[in-house]
Amino acid sequence: MRRFALAILLVPAIAGADPGRLLDDHTFDTEPGGPFAGDLAFVAAKPTSLPTGLSTGLAVGFTRRCGCLFSYGARIGWSRVAEDSQSWVVTQDDFRLRITGAIRHDAGRGSIALRLGAGPTLVREVRDLQQGMRDPNSDTPQQQRALRAVPAGELELVVSLKIAGTWLIDASGGPTLAVDDGVHGGWITQMGVAWQP
Amino acid sequence: MAAVKAALIGALATTVSLVACDDLKNFGGPVPAYATVNLEVTGDATLLPADADLRVAMVWGGQWLVEALCILPPENADAAAVLAVGCRDPFGFVPARTDANIAADVGVPAAMPLISLPSADLLVGDITARVGYASLIAYDDRDHNGTLSLARPNRVPGPGPGGGGGSGDLPVEKKDIVYGASFISMTQPDQRIAYREGAFSPVAAFYPRAGCEGPPLGFSMLAAGGFTAQAAIDATLAGTLPQEDPATCDQSPLSATTIQITLHDPANVAISELGCAERTSDSSVRFINPDPTQPAPDFSERLTACVHLPSFGAPSDTVELIVGGRPEDACVGISHYVLKGCRNSPDCGTPEWDHSENPPTWWPCGP
Repeated sequence: MRRFALAILLVPAIAGADPGRLLDDHTFDTEPGGPFAGDLAFVAAKPTSLPTGLSTGLAVGFTRRCGCLFSYGARIGWSRVAEDSQSWVVTQDDFRLRITGAIRHDAGRGSIALRLGAGPTLVREVRDLQQGMRDPNSDTPQQQRALRAVPAGELELVVSLKIAGTWLIDASGGPTLAVDDGVHGGWITQMGVAWQP
Repeated sequence: MAAVKAALIGALATTVSLVACDDLKNFGGPVPAYATVNLEVTGDATLLPADADLRVAMVWGGQWLVEALCILPPENADAAAVLAVGCRDPFGFVPARTDANIAADVGVPAAMPLISLPSADLLVGDITARVGYASLIAYDDRDHNGTLSLARPNRVPGPGPGGGGGSGDLPVEKKDIVYGASFISMTQPDQRIAYREGAFSPVAAFYPRAGCEGPPLGFSMLAAGGFTAQAAIDATLAGTLPQEDPATCDQSPLSATTIQITLHDPANVAISELGCAERTSDSSVRFINPDPTQPAPDFSERLTACVHLPSFGAPSDTVELIVGGRPEDACVGISHYVLKGCRNSPDCGTPEWDHSENPPTWWPCGP
């Protein structure tokens, strides 16, 4: 018991032995940053083709600031959805390739932008026959694959906030549009971190 | 320079469009069939009404054991009458679930694609060796829902949880009318569809066809000549399975044979019972509480009898009231009442009810 009390008394002394401070007045200082920025984000979206489900994945983007109002760049994203019916287990991967342009307004540490992206979405579809692996007669085709490019785009509201140094957090979301045997509406949200050296 | 960029982007877009031009099917499109059943409905077409919507359903068979009362000699004449209208063929095919359905015409060959495999609850055995059997049932789709609507026995409704109405959401009214099947009873020649996964146990007593080869892997058509009821009793007493005549056995791929379904008189109980499912698979009986505080049950149009509990050993002292179904019911069945007991047994340790000292006024069987 005496040793335990001694240890308790020594803990603050040991902690106080470090002369440096983990947090100070400049910890969250930010830098104005250059014209280029990159970001990595989690994606949640309505699938481009499948009528149900939530497609989730990752996206990376590159942005160049051009003046105080306009930005442009490119994004690549991947997301996946898997849903099943009575006959099929359907998995669709959406690969979004986008050229983006945005109108931006900076305010303090943050900025808000309206970003328009356009480009093809490659949809890779894999359909597995329900319970097909149980079929002892292997001559039944049990999997179907397809790959299709779909013209698509989205209009997103993007909110960025500088956290520390050259790092930002980004969140965006908005409606999407894809054209494939008609026009299909949807939505997309993204949240991640950005680096603006 | 700008022209080169534009050309490169155009070439890339064209390449992507050409490579990625498949059609996405999502959940749609045709489903490949695991197998196709060739069938033909034969027989007297005049048995069907003029407005018949004749269809054929593939129906998977379930495990079922007849209750002991139905295979022991009746105790008295009243009991014989109740059993005659309340017991189904102990060797008959008992449906568990309806699968594929197609429209059919008498004398016209048809093809039924099988686009799904039977679920595990329809197969008997473990994951290394299991099998299921199905019968092709020809029926008049009176409710026009495109599938064979199974029914269940109409037992007497009783008070509380001991009521005899039974569980399950199947109707007690006849929805569709059955006219024939490829597999009616083990005591008749049959053609059945088998689905096997893994090994096969030749001693399994699930719609047995001992003396014939086991079914091949996957879907197949099996045929057997049937055995007599006496042969089944003798074999059971000897601890074996009744033997089929090997000359009547057949097993072949579904694509290599046409399964015949002969039309019968739908009033034949063996035929009409093909549209009736059973709620228990172990021959167990649910007993009803004859609660004296409740109004007397409605036994109009039903036959009743007082019998001792069936026993394969020493006779039981417990008397029960058995009640048959009504003539218009879709399925045969027997309701059981005892003055003292529980829902699952009259011999339970702590009875859920005991009216032996004060039976209801309508009780006809004595204390």
